[in-house]
Amino acid sequence: MDNLFLPRVARIAAVRDETPDTKTFDLVLRQGGEPRDFTFSPGQFMELSVFGVGEAPFCFASSPTRTECIQTTVRRTGVLTDAMHTLAAGDEVGVRGPCGNGFDVAAATAKDLLFIGGGIGLPPLRGLIWNVLDERDRFGKVTILYGARTPTDLVYKDELEEWARRGDVEIHVTVDRGETGWTGNVGMVPVLFDRTELKPATTLAYVCGPPIMIKFVVQELLMRGFSPDSVISTLERMMQCGVGKCNHCCIGHRYVCRDGPVFTYRQIREMTE
Amino acid sequence: MHSNAARTIGKERMREWIGRLMERAEVLAPTSARAGDIILRRISSPLEVQWGGDIPLLPPKQAVLPQTDPLVSIGRGPGGFVVEPVYDETPRVLFGLRSCDVKGIEFLTRVHEYDLADAAYLRRAAAVTSVSVACVAPCAFGFCICCDAGPFLADSFDVQLTDLGDRFLAEVGSEKGGRLLEPSADLFRTGRADEVALRHELEEAAKRAFGPETCHFASAMRRVSVGRVSAELWDEIADTCLECGACNFVCPTCYCFSVKDQARDGRWVRCRTWDSCQFRAFTLEASGHNPREAHRERVKRRFFHKVSAQYFRRDGAVGCVGCGRCVKVCLGTSDMPAVVAAIRKGEWHG
Amino acid sequence: MRRAHAIRGRRRVTGREGKAVDPVLTTCPFCPCGCGFYLLAREGRTEGVIPSASDPVSRGRLCARGWASHEAPAWGERLTEPLLRHDGRMRPVSWETALDAAAGSLAAMRRAGRTIGVLGSARATNEENYLAVRMARGALQTPHVGTCLSPAYQPLLDGLHDVTERHAGSGGVADLEGCDVIVLVEGDVAVTHPQVAGAIVRARKAGCRLVTIGAVASQMTRLATLAIAAPPGRERAVTFELAAAALATGRLDTATIVAAGETFDELRRSLAGVEVSKAVARAAGWYAQAQRAGIVVAPLVGDATDLRRLAGDVATLAAATGHLDRDGSPLLMLPARGNLRGACEVGASSAFLPGFAPLSDEKAASRLEGVWGVPPARETGLDATAMLSAARGAVIVAEDPSVVLPAGALAREALGRMECVVLLDAFATGALELATVVLPIASFAENDGTVTGLDGRLRRVRAAVGPPGMARPGWAVLGAMLGRLGPAAEYESAEGVRREIARAVPPDAAPRWRELDQVGVAPKGERNGLRRRSLGPLTPCEPVEPAPFVALWNGVFDWGRDPLVRYSPTLCRESVAQRKLFPGGFVELSKEAMERLGVRQGWPVRLKSAGGEAVAPALMRADLAAGVVVVPFALRDGLAPAMGGRSVASVAVERA
Repeated sequence: MDNLFLPRVARIAAVRDETPDTKTFDLVLRQGGEPRDFTFSPGQFMELSVFGVGEAPFCFASSPTRTECIQTTVRRTGVLTDAMHTLAAGDEVGVRGPCGNGFDVAAATAKDLLFIGGGIGLPPLRGLIWNVLDERDRFGKVTILYGARTPTDLVYKDELEEWARRGDVEIHVTVDRGETGWTGNVGMVPVLFDRTELKPATTLAYVCGPPIMIKFVVQELLMRGFSPDSVISTLERMMQCGVGKCNHCCIGHRYVCRDGPVFTYRQIREMTE
Repeated sequence: MHSNAARTIGKERMREWIGRLMERAEVLAPTSARAGDIILRRISSPLEVQWGGDIPLLPPKQAVLPQTDPLVSIGRGPGGFVVEPVYDETPRVLFGLRSCDVKGIEFLTRVHEYDLADAAYLRRAAAVTSVSVACVAPCAFGFCICCDAGPFLADSFDVQLTDLGDRFLAEVGSEKGGRLLEPSADLFRTGRADEVALRHELEEAAKRAFGPETCHFASAMRRVSVGRVSAELWDEIADTCLECGACNFVCPTCYCFSVKDQARDGRWVRCRTWDSCQFRAFTLEASGHNPREAHRERVKRRFFHKVSAQYFRRDGAVGCVGCGRCVKVCLGTSDMPAVVAAIRKGEWHG
Repeated sequence: MRRAHAIRGRRRVTGREGKAVDPVLTTCPFCPCGCGFYLLAREGRTEGVIPSASDPVSRGRLCARGWASHEAPAWGERLTEPLLRHDGRMRPVSWETALDAAAGSLAAMRRAGRTIGVLGSARATNEENYLAVRMARGALQTPHVGTCLSPAYQPLLDGLHDVTERHAGSGGVADLEGCDVIVLVEGDVAVTHPQVAGAIVRARKAGCRLVTIGAVASQMTRLATLAIAAPPGRERAVTFELAAAALATGRLDTATIVAAGETFDELRRSLAGVEVSKAVARAAGWYAQAQRAGIVVAPLVGDATDLRRLAGDVATLAAATGHLDRDGSPLLMLPARGNLRGACEVGASSAFLPGFAPLSDEKAASRLEGVWGVPPARETGLDATAMLSAARGAVIVAEDPSVVLPAGALAREALGRMECVVLLDAFATGALELATVVLPIASFAENDGTVTGLDGRLRRVRAAVGPPGMARPGWAVLGAMLGRLGPAAEYESAEGVRREIARAVPPDAAPRWRELDQVGVAPKGERNGLRRRSLGPLTPCEPVEPAPFVALWNGVFDWGRDPLVRYSPTLCRESVAQRKLFPGGFVELSKEAMERLGVRQGWPVRLKSAGGEAVAPALMRADLAAGVVVVPFALRDGLAPAMGGRSVASVAVERA
């Protein structure tokens, strides 16, 4: 019987600025030796602690197929993320997990995959995207639709270009408001639907982003013939323990930290507070 | 293996037994505190035990899930941070508990065993043995009979005492309980058939003596489970709730918590602290979004967790042992029996 | 080493390492309801709370703050060593050095004739406040002594004293539960004084009629039998009408009228012809007819004259209808924070000597001279805001004036300009960076002494653990400072200070300071109601110019930045989130107003008044009247220019 609350100490190997308020951290676990003995699936999350400040849940932004480090992308919103942003390479944090159910990668085999991300909603998809790309042959067509408020707010800018350069991924990016030098799409994420051919019957759609964006995107997908079972999203809730005990993240009798955070739209629709 | 045979102990020998228990464990018992309140605390003498007073306002939950519960110690070593689990496995005897409180601890242990086992809780709880005293009369606000948590217990107890006048009948319900009696076998004798018969008579009499305080969980469960309670009714109930959290804190089955780092002389101790689903901040997210912003949503949440069929199936019981504490401590008027009655009738008389 | 031993209160009360100590019976440090409970401690840290069913105020019921009161002492950023500013930086020093520096600077300033101010606090005990008063009016011979919150409370007491014989109301919180009618001049007591709100909820359940008077809808107005909307900041317009309506009912107390004689006729004449709305007439009728009827006045924004008159209105109403001296008919003025009533009572006031003795009272002055060894300074002092502006040196006990005073930013600037600021506190607050000398004192969990509840009951505060590090109880530190400033003062314990208070206050107030038992003593006579002093004419409200919008603060106090909330992990969450999301503040508008202005949730609006302007995001609030703009007190600084430094102001609002 393990202590559910005992974090492992991880060293920050690198920090990258994604946007003015978002950073990506490369973490290497110190205890337990190699990071490879820390296995997770995309869509799962970890409880990340800044010692003395506290803990909060963050998704794995990296793929389990990449074992050199664990990555997470953190936007400054609260006390803990403020503290995270003051940390630099060489500093230590606590990592507890993995928590939650994660995406069912096996069920996606041979399917066409549609990733739709909004703003800071791309990081949880990124883990899955790299997992898929690292095992590219197992899956059908891969399409990525990504939107942010402004070009500055786009995360993983280099990778967006890298994915665009690959021949085996279709990617469309849009921003709500353009900036000087922006020559790409302007408008909310749903404007991208007309840029790509959708095959609802054979496609799984993964949607992550702010609640309002999810709402419009899911509406659009259902209208275009997607089944509520093939629209997959992640839920966010206030969490403390991440292990189904503290009761902060309950929706009805479901625990976002244990039954989720990944749910199909059908499951989400059936939940009641 | 423990023997289920009931034994008896003369009241004049009780002090001797408690004294022997104190040699091997921390003994917590109801005692009279400064202002005259009965509170459960560690005793330093068998003479401090208060028999038959009011039910302590704070349940023995504090002995298995303290209000501030250290989980992890965080310090700095030469090679960086050092994190270590903190466990409290002090042997404790909870003496003089009510039946409802024994059921409460059993409930808490079940939820901490469920799914991922919580070692911090379970190790502390494993070191706790209870000696409960069956209630021969219902207490003023109690309704344990509505949720199979009293006045006498048929299971779940370690040692159950029944007051037979000049002596107690002692029933052993677990191995842990048996271990409390074994070293003191000289103080007990085997219970006679008439003593056992008297115990059953007392139980029947106690059951018949329950007053008007009842709590019809079943019909409330049906409505709560399918969301058939109007928003207006939740609003009315919410207006009589002052969001103090007391119903959660004194509830023998409530265990919501938050986790925070407490600074202690250059290191930290990560603690869990009691929290309440009735607090607006309980579900407040860093973004400012709050899925239970409306007060009625928080009240609804509490009763969904307490009496829905969904949770009943998971936990094997309603989240209530009928101790009546929430009736006493509610700063407003939205206690369990009042709200269950309102849900059942579809109208509020707060 | 001469003086180092003058600091008493080193007693350790913790048990052996790792062992829980016995729960300690004490009094809640938050609001002035004064609930008793037990504090639990382990390893020298408070770790929990046990309610007390036998406590006469709480009767086992605590609010969220009470339940979390063990947190701030154990989790907060504590001051553990004396600090002295040297070349602009704070350095830890010995007690001896710190006390010598503090007393030396103050004594030098006094000799140089510089203005010195002393601030007691609603967060400090009666003993600490009393010693602050003795330091001011005695040792430092300065009349500038008070607390930051007094200006919102003292006028209410003065208003009661205009009509009754005391600076106090009558009855207690529990009396509300037996009332047939309760008139609540509402701020938001469910938030500010939950125990009072609880008593009202239970009274409603028992069939009591509840009349609320307020500008903003609240939980209590939703529960009300009759909710009377008052113009923002002008609740007094309704209480005046209420008094007039009650006199018009004719159901008056004959004894009062006979005793009042001619002054009653003056009263009647002053109310003749006052136009009374139907709602107010109904409420007045209920109140006048009730067997037991209560009046509760929540902390209100508004100017001092209005507050004083409001208290006079309700006291007159109670007197004329016979409720004033009736058992079970409470008249309660709610202080905004914990020990505000106690601080005022022991003399932390610009206008009174201890025990509300007037400054002109020769007997009181000679009594104090007998106790203090020097005659008290008897001029009228400046209130906290004016004091900070005028003073060159200050002693501040357990307060961060920039958080509590209405003009927070100005208080900060004023402190920054001072030559010497001696700060006594248990917790690190914003005042730390403005202090010259910091003296670490015990928090309530480590302190002994008394506080006074809103009902006037003296309650004991008891130490559950020892103070952290070098911190010592406030009474001991103030005693040591007094010893240095002279004439000699020596205190062995908080009880010694309390015994001195019994000698310092007028003889009729003295017994309860002497006869304190476990659960506290209510002031003599107050349980049996108040006696009338005089009835007189009431002054009608001056009309105000109608304005499209009136902006007002949502209260007079910000719990969020009180250290006991700020440092409680459970209690701080909402205010921390609010501050993070709206660092420059926000305003609340009605749905109608937002539609009229063409703004949506979160869009910026500009508030303009004669005093200036400010821009802040607008949030919609469903239960607001169309012309009311609510400004959170906690975030008032950003909007201060638009309010022109006032708590209620006519403003123009436009989309920014």
